[in-house]
Amino acid sequence: MTVETTGWVPPSWDEVVREHAGRVYRLAYRLSGNRADAEDLTQETFVRVFKSLAEYTPGTFEGWLHRITTNLFLDLARRRQRIRFDALPEDAGDRLASRQAGPEQTYEEMHLDPEIQRALDELPADFRVAVVLCDLEQLSYEEIAATLGIKVGTVRSRIHRGRVLLRQALAHRAPGLRPAEPGRSAEHHVGDSAGARAASFEAFSP
Amino acid sequence: MSSQHLSDEAIAAFADGVLSGHARERASRHAAKCPECAYAVAVQREAVWALRAAPAPSLPAGLLDRLRSVPSTTPIRVAPTAVGPDGSAMFAAFGTMLTTAALVPPRSRQARSHRVRPIVMTAAAVAAAGVVAVASGAPASGRQPTQTRQGPTTQVDFVQPSAGVPAVMPIDMGSRIGR
Repeated sequence: MTVETTGWVPPSWDEVVREHAGRVYRLAYRLSGNRADAEDLTQETFVRVFKSLAEYTPGTFEGWLHRITTNLFLDLARRRQRIRFDALPEDAGDRLASRQAGPEQTYEEMHLDPEIQRALDELPADFRVAVVLCDLEQLSYEEIAATLGIKVGTVRSRIHRGRVLLRQALAHRAPGLRPAEPGRSAEHHVGDSAGARAASFEAFSP
Repeated sequence: MSSQHLSDEAIAAFADGVLSGHARERASRHAAKCPECAYAVAVQREAVWALRAAPAPSLPAGLLDRLRSVPSTTPIRVAPTAVGPDGSAMFAAFGTMLTTAALVPPRSRQARSHRVRPIVMTAAAVAAAGVVAVASGAPASGRQPTQTRQGPTTQVDFVQPSAGVPAVMPIDMGSRIGR
């Protein structure tokens, strides 16, 4: 890959945060399904970014952030699975107590679709990650494969399975969804083509 | 037309419109005549529509402030990237490696030993900018002046050089970049 050097000024930390925080938080929220975990994941992602700036290799910064956030979430999900029936972690009370519900939380709770988030939360973590990265973050299959370190075929099958489960969980909402049109031309696909997305996306690692 | 149903993977890819050429034609022909596969494609698309219709959560303001102060609240265990001419330790700002990567293109084997120099110079220069950027807090935002004001005292502590920090960290980027 080539990098423009002329006139390029490295962004300050403040600029890095302003540019990427919203996106990282959104991803963290979609994956974790709640605000407390999303905040922790976002903070931990930026701490990791800050600590390992010197190890950052050329590639897209977004790809790097996706990878860190996703892996932190998967670690969290695996830990949770192991301690599912145990008591809350010791510091859970402190962490929760330290967060007061601000005005934006009220806004968030009013505007988020809890049913969809719940359906998402019910997916196995591996399926949820694939679906969120594909359908909400709009990464291509190849980008997701690079993010998770798995094969593209595995990405496709996890996305397929995840969407089927999601659609089942939302079955009662059928009238709210666009009806299936069997005779409809299959050329009309959802949203942006992942191929076009991939074209504008640089490799994750050199 | 092939009587064989589309695979799960093909159904997802077809629903996303990322199949091309022969695979797309085959899937298209099959789905037009097979209600089962057409339904499976529709399920995929409906799941996507439902997901995308849900509004995105907004970033809590308090979190933004905490992220801004990460440089002043995060202890760095590794040695700083470089030490400035006045002896103050510096750490690499974001983008250092991006810049050095461009300045140090892959070269022949014998050039390897020369790679260190431009990297170090650039790292020091960029790190200087990084220190300035971080130490100045968040002047652009001005959201919470009381909070950013506390920053510099703790930040100064952590950019101070510790004894024994090498004048310049030998960063061997050559092996990574040259590949």
